Amino acid sequence: MSSNNDQPDGDVSRRDFLKGAGVASVVGVTGATIAEQGLNNLELVDDPIGSYPYRDWEDLYREEWDWDSISRSTHSVNCTGSCSWQVYVKNGQVWREQQANDYPRFDENLPDPSPRGCNKGACFSDYVDADQRVKYPLRRTGERGEGQWERISWDRALTEIAEHVIDEVTEGRYDAISGFTPIPAMSPVSFASGTRLINLLGGVSHSFYDWYSDLPPGQPITWGHQTDNAESADWYNADYIIAWGSNINVTRIPDAKYFLDAQYNGTKRVGVFTDYSQTAIHTDEWLSPNPGTDTALALGMARTIVDEGLYDEAHVKEQSDMPLLVREDTGKFLRASEVPGLGADVENPEKVMVMQDGDGEPRIAPASLGDRADKYDPSKSIELDFDPQLAVEEEVTTTDGQVPVRSVWVNLREELSNYTPEYVAEETGVGERTHRKIAREFAESDAAKIIHGKGVNDWYHNDLGNRAIQLLTTLTGHIGRNGTGVDHYVGQEKIWTFNGWKNLSFPTGSVRGVPTTLWTYFHAGILNNTDEQTRSMIQESVNEGWMPVYPEERGDGFRPDPSTMFVWRGNFFNQAKGNVAIEENLWPKLDLVVDINFRLDSTALYSDIVLPAASHYEKTDLNMTDMHTYVHPFTPAVEPLGEAKTDWQIFRELAAKIQDLAERRDIDPIDDRKFDREIDLQSLEDDYVRDWLTEEGEGDGALADDEAAAEFILEHSTESNPDDGGEITFADTVEQPQRFEAAGDHWTSDIEEGEAYAPWKDFVQDKEPWPTFTGRQQYYIDHDWFLELDEQLPTHKRPPEQQDQQEYPLRYNTPHGRYAIHSTWRDNEKLLRLNRGEPVVFIHPDDAQRRGIEDGDRVEIYNDLSEIEAIAKVYPSADPGTVQLPFGWEKYQFPNRENFNSLVPMYMKPTQLVQYPEDSGEHLHFFPNFWGPTGVNSDVRCDVRPKEGGDN
Amino acid sequence: MAHENFEIADGVDHQVAMVMDLNKCIGCQTCTVACKTLWTEREGTEYMYWNNVETRPGKGYPRRWEEKGGGWVSDEHTERTPGEIPASEDYGEAWEFDHEGILKEGEDKKLAPEGGKPEWGPNWDEDQGAGEHPNSYYFYLPRICNHCTHPSCVEACPRQAVYKREEDGVVLVDQDRCRGYRYCVEGCPYKKIYYNAVSKNSEKCVFCYPRIEGEGPDEEIHPPACADQCVTQLRLVGYLDDTDGPIYKLVEQYEVALPLHPEYQTTPNVYYIPPFAPPQHSEGGETVDVDRIPRSYLEQLFGERVHDALDTIEQERQKVERGGYSELMEILQDTNPAEQYRLDRTGVFDDD
Repeated sequence: MSSNNDQPDGDVSRRDFLKGAGVASVVGVTGATIAEQGLNNLELVDDPIGSYPYRDWEDLYREEWDWDSISRSTHSVNCTGSCSWQVYVKNGQVWREQQANDYPRFDENLPDPSPRGCNKGACFSDYVDADQRVKYPLRRTGERGEGQWERISWDRALTEIAEHVIDEVTEGRYDAISGFTPIPAMSPVSFASGTRLINLLGGVSHSFYDWYSDLPPGQPITWGHQTDNAESADWYNADYIIAWGSNINVTRIPDAKYFLDAQYNGTKRVGVFTDYSQTAIHTDEWLSPNPGTDTALALGMARTIVDEGLYDEAHVKEQSDMPLLVREDTGKFLRASEVPGLGADVENPEKVMVMQDGDGEPRIAPASLGDRADKYDPSKSIELDFDPQLAVEEEVTTTDGQVPVRSVWVNLREELSNYTPEYVAEETGVGERTHRKIAREFAESDAAKIIHGKGVNDWYHNDLGNRAIQLLTTLTGHIGRNGTGVDHYVGQEKIWTFNGWKNLSFPTGSVRGVPTTLWTYFHAGILNNTDEQTRSMIQESVNEGWMPVYPEERGDGFRPDPSTMFVWRGNFFNQAKGNVAIEENLWPKLDLVVDINFRLDSTALYSDIVLPAASHYEKTDLNMTDMHTYVHPFTPAVEPLGEAKTDWQIFRELAAKIQDLAERRDIDPIDDRKFDREIDLQSLEDDYVRDWLTEEGEGDGALADDEAAAEFILEHSTESNPDDGGEITFADTVEQPQRFEAAGDHWTSDIEEGEAYAPWKDFVQDKEPWPTFTGRQQYYIDHDWFLELDEQLPTHKRPPEQQDQQEYPLRYNTPHGRYAIHSTWRDNEKLLRLNRGEPVVFIHPDDAQRRGIEDGDRVEIYNDLSEIEAIAKVYPSADPGTVQLPFGWEKYQFPNRENFNSLVPMYMKPTQLVQYPEDSGEHLHFFPNFWGPTGVNSDVRCDVRPKEGGDN
Repeated sequence: MAHENFEIADGVDHQVAMVMDLNKCIGCQTCTVACKTLWTEREGTEYMYWNNVETRPGKGYPRRWEEKGGGWVSDEHTERTPGEIPASEDYGEAWEFDHEGILKEGEDKKLAPEGGKPEWGPNWDEDQGAGEHPNSYYFYLPRICNHCTHPSCVEACPRQAVYKREEDGVVLVDQDRCRGYRYCVEGCPYKKIYYNAVSKNSEKCVFCYPRIEGEGPDEEIHPPACADQCVTQLRLVGYLDDTDGPIYKLVEQYEVALPLHPEYQTTPNVYYIPPFAPPQHSEGGETVDVDRIPRSYLEQLFGERVHDALDTIEQERQKVERGGYSELMEILQDTNPAEQYRLDRTGVFDDD
């Protein structure tokens, strides 16, 4: 027992004393003597339980609960939360924030949509006047990364940037100017601010969804669509949920309620995680496959479903490619043009697939690509007026003579025959009985759903994993209805208000989009730093024009280096995989790096000029997510701190400066080498603030400020201003979050009153053709590269080893953590105090013990690329053999500025560089964030050792 | 009215109470941050977490608080159990960081707690728990002051500066009268009173009384910040003696909401729905019907009644799974926000 400082001992408890009971307390030190009470002139309180006379002091805390104004805002942090917040202002300062509790309910049977938020959102106010806040334009005085700056005026900063840009454009290097900013949905006005300027300049706009390996390539491959997910409210509609590598309780905090409430609503929840994750703890059954074996597990489950006849035959026949015939000699789909007498009625029989009806007669697969006008063609239907055979294996007469064919179904069954229960148990570590039971339960549920996440999407073979997991929903018909489907929640691929955003961001309509993984690795030297097969496939893809790389190769075969990079709303340099190569090879090529930011993050630190941006509580913008169907705003609670300005203001003023200098120098318009347009620097600001969608003259100067830009987005989008519905204005969103009125063409279902959004209804319920080559959910891909690699069907392949397995026995994994949204908040004191203040690596007790590591020790994690430092956290729930380092730590939180990405090499999968069909690409072609190589990072190995003298 | 599972302190008209559903706690710490931002950013309070969330099994905050004594020897509430004041290392310091030096003045060091490698903090053993993969286990336990019916902190204070409010049973430390002796810190078995070395007073969770009184500029009643801002809405707040309210039903009728460490005999007014977890795995990776969280561990935390509580929850879950209706299951979901917080006493109690 500790002794107390200034209090004499007593042996009678005060209460007993007051009662006169005189019972000696066993507590020696806590009683007060009569003398003590007398000395302090303390008035006696009869009994402080209930009656207490001195309560005036209570106003002390009441006075704390006070404020001057409340504004509605939110956070723009590459997060899918999209949570509306109230920002409290007291004495002219942002004091605190609290979730706005007023999302309108659209279905009383679902849990309340409010509140939405998380630990990070609850302390964004810390950033508003934080030490790391950028208050004035800064120009680097030391080396990049040194943190030495001089304060310069806005005019000086904009002039320097403008002069550099003018030189690049006039010398034809406009495609050496890059703009990187991620997901528009979190703040489309800010996204558009720089993107609009870059577009007018003929510069390059970067993809992000594929770069961050958030894109599930299996979805464009199989479903022909970027990704489409149910809003999280729909989880509650499921009778059965498998959370597959999606750590909802950490990465989807605002949505977790739907998963948790479902437990009391009769839903069974299964978790598939290698570790006993923060989501696994709240499931009803947890499966723990070995890392990188999810595909084998899914295909084992698929085999059970097929073998035991648990599949939805009608769905499979109508909605998938399973009845289509494949030539055994070439591996290609049999085309209508190859079958005498077939295909006379279709536009292009060479791109029409063939089925066999119940009489064994060949029939065209309606709405195959050659039988429809576009990728999306709602005028056609995939509904069948005959009953196709699923299992076909025979010879057919073709223009090439007799050719053996098999249906995709037969091919699939052959593939699935490899996944015997014994093999699956051996490969995955999940027991035979257990994985088969889960497969049966999933198939037999009325509405079953898979929530799919980063845990399975960051592997090199993510496309195979996606396709295998998607197959489970297709086989069982758990797709295209509420409570079903594969909901892939990693990053945020698209924005509800697409049309308004697109026109605001890309007014010219001529866009230099680039797949950022390829652009980054190309300029960081991957061609000299990868295996021969990958190298040649990258070159073939670029040469074929399947994937663009900028700057373009010039007529003389010379390709300039990128020279200029603008980064805003993101931390490109810190978050880049292949970090060592990027720092060594790409960054030095850039003559000017400009970061627009409210805080000094690692990209800012390694930039040449940093411009002070308004924080999230100092600006006007919109905010939305595909996790829900509402839109709500940012409004300024306070004026921007110091000399900060909003992103829209900053890029507008840069446009004005360029225009001003161009006018003074009388710079002529420049012909764009790729597009039929001129780059006219003398009208740059005029074009920036002009509403391009109105008649000439009428829209001049219309988009002068942020709010006008926000209104433009709402006005020109189907979701907020449908032809046949109500209009949502910016003021409406300030009043209360607004549910969208409709879903535009980039969604695959409608938004219905009283119903949560769930995708794919256009295809499954309305029978529109799926936007694939075959017009169906397509599990068989007959692209040459897929055939060469034996990936025409989903198949399990082990992860490629990026480092030697003997030398580096541990797997290295960098999942999303609880205390940051990527790198934002990683440097926040309040949240750092709630973990360990420094990067932490989670390690299994046996792996730690074997290396002489104890919990709390400082350790080095290393492989042949680099070594980094962290504090060991001994985690009994870890999968043995894997260490996890929650990612997003800034370079300056590690010694020597080697960060979590320093251990990750540049690598990507060539099947994600294709166009399909090869000649025309309607099914798969490069489109930013829709199709392109993913920047994967889960196949990395390392080892860990105690740091010498690491205890200090 | 006699209640089997709770009592209201003599002299207290109504008792405010909270139920926290541990099956909905994801350890996100939004409650912790909400509380901190509102109450403990003043000088001297930086290290305090009136609301904290700790991983169980684990040492908690402050470290090993369950071993530090306090509370009563028996339910007669005549003798108190000796208690001690946790050392400052057991709370952890509020680390400082030198953003300015590194980012703006070119200091060649990493951003990390100033003054050397940290050794402990308020959530240091987060996610660790016990057991071995694949049969390890952990869960999260949010904690505030229990505003006990028999508060040993009140008894411990020789200056009668700790009291329990007549109208709602909220336990407060009178910031005028307190002299910072810290007998209350010793006396609280939950270690939910903290010493402010700057004001030289002890401070604690105030159950956000200005919010539940509707004392802000908007004059509206708000639930405590930790509950209001809980993203999964795992907390219900109301009056224990509001017999139509969900808290009464959970505590008294269904007996699924249990106090933490009832053996401390302070009769807490914060109750917990005990956690369940997926079953264990066999060596061959099969699911086996064995409790992952040992019942004995839960019994240590919540007493013997935890068995019946978990059985009741399981039965009601199965009922709903079979398509039946369960009032209990409905109460535990956030489908009726109006019932989640019943803090407006008007019309609920005759005397208000």
